[in-house]
Amino acid sequence: MENNAAIKKNQGGDLLGWRIASYILIGVFTLTTIIPLVWLTYSSFKPHQEIILDPLGWPDAPTFHNYELAWKLGEFGILFGNSIFYSTVATVITVLLALMCGYAFAKFGFKITGFLYTFFLGGLLITVHSILVPLFVMESFVGIDDTRWGVLIPYVALGLPFQLFLATSYLKSIPDSLEEAALIDGTGYMGIFWRIVLPMSAPVMATMLIYCFLGNWNEFVLIMVLTSRQAVRSLPAGINAFAGTTARDYGVQFAALMYGTVPILIFYAAFSKQIKKGFAAGSLKE
Amino acid sequence: MNHKTLKKTSYWLLSGPAVLVYALIIIFPVVVSFVLSFTQWSGFGMPQFVGLKNYIDIFKDSYFWWGIRNNILVVAISVLGQIPVGFVLAYILYRKMVKGGNFFEAMIFLPITISSVVVALLWRNIFGNAGIFTQIMRNITHDPRWILSITEVKELSIIPILVVILWMYTGMYMIIFLANMQKISPSVLEAAIIDGASEGQILLRIILPHMTNIIFTTAVLAISGSLKSFDLIFAMTQGGPARYTEVVAIYMYMNTFKYFKYGFGSAVSMFIVAISVGLIQILNGIFSYFERKFS
Repeated sequence: MENNAAIKKNQGGDLLGWRIASYILIGVFTLTTIIPLVWLTYSSFKPHQEIILDPLGWPDAPTFHNYELAWKLGEFGILFGNSIFYSTVATVITVLLALMCGYAFAKFGFKITGFLYTFFLGGLLITVHSILVPLFVMESFVGIDDTRWGVLIPYVALGLPFQLFLATSYLKSIPDSLEEAALIDGTGYMGIFWRIVLPMSAPVMATMLIYCFLGNWNEFVLIMVLTSRQAVRSLPAGINAFAGTTARDYGVQFAALMYGTVPILIFYAAFSKQIKKGFAAGSLKE
Repeated sequence: MNHKTLKKTSYWLLSGPAVLVYALIIIFPVVVSFVLSFTQWSGFGMPQFVGLKNYIDIFKDSYFWWGIRNNILVVAISVLGQIPVGFVLAYILYRKMVKGGNFFEAMIFLPITISSVVVALLWRNIFGNAGIFTQIMRNITHDPRWILSITEVKELSIIPILVVILWMYTGMYMIIFLANMQKISPSVLEAAIIDGASEGQILLRIILPHMTNIIFTTAVLAISGSLKSFDLIFAMTQGGPARYTEVVAIYMYMNTFKYFKYGFGSAVSMFIVAISVGLIQILNGIFSYFERKFS
């Protein structure tokens, strides 16, 4: 009881200075997130002329015209379809490969693992720029340049180092007993992976899937360099190109930016816990 | 098949696909890039071996040094801006100094999830002619023609970008620090409070020492992330006006894909990896020096 009283006291009156400073700092950062997004949202319902004449004002007569025009001119149907395709398929493949590999690395105790693991973690330091030229040449050689395969395969490879790190460190921490019992029962290693390791990985898998999906959804350099056809491009590359052609119509450009923002806001509202875990995971002390 | 062979086969069946994809798509191209960095090649015909010429040319190019200068500023805003501010924000939330902490946390972390292309274009508009920032400044200065003129000044044009970088990534560091602060045993904190420790003492004597490892990790993240920074600046300014806001990654991109100097571009990308590894090694050295000194 006494302890609680002491804690209460400390968190009360004598902290006024700290509290005021805290509200100011945290308030400034929060407002700089909210104000731009609110401004973007209501401005996207204003025609170009109105934005120019009165950049701060609320729309006189809110209209969906910008959204209709942007959707048609920017071919957002295609961009959305591709973004969903790349993010979903690449993410599922990456996470599955990372968990399989992580199981082998965490539980088999083979000597070569140390070498292979270091080799993967080194990938975290490599910039995507240092593989662009050879990758482009390789893809032309195989004939998958400017195709969906040509985007999907590099997305899987680029996601692997961090996903493997998450998978391996998680699987190291789960007890060996279940697996050993299954081995004695005569289940093979692949059976153990599907029937025991995969279900046990559910908590880390959620973080892996969501973090990986977000990364693929927002990826920009690779798709910009490796593709030129609108038919295979995703939202970031499409929006970037579209903004270049609509510099003279703010309303349409704002609507395009809203197409890029709103899905992510919904995603964030649904999965913020897992997203935070993914970002924090690289630094957590075990 | 005996158990040993079975185990070995299973190991490669499980790890093989990942190792293969990674080796083929990442490692092999990096090696090719390294080889290409000693050649002159425009994408047609055979690359010509030129020895160290590309590396020497990089050092002679004033645009490269300007890119380095801008990169240093990006690293500085990350290490000296995002990390300390992120730390303080995390501390505020950890100690529950404000009501509605979850809401503030959610808002400050939000920008990192938005595509950097969207963030860049949004802020380009905010600072642009019909932007909210410009309009507010016009209202304050009573000058209807006020524009953000520092974007046209060579030395200052990077500043708006640094502001956006601070805006976008501070929340990430806040989340990292907060997650690690929450791992500190609550009893440590309670004991200090009962002993009558002031807020400043709690921050400097208890929380900060628990966080030295994490500060080091975030510094590594900040340095390697800053050297790779490309998307945001590319979408915001394309390195312009007049190449004022180029960072090394954009310098590499322009040389490679605009001027078709594939060999030269490869040399620049090798250079980025080398500086990144080098800086992290230096940081590692400093960190273990201090660790030895204080423990």
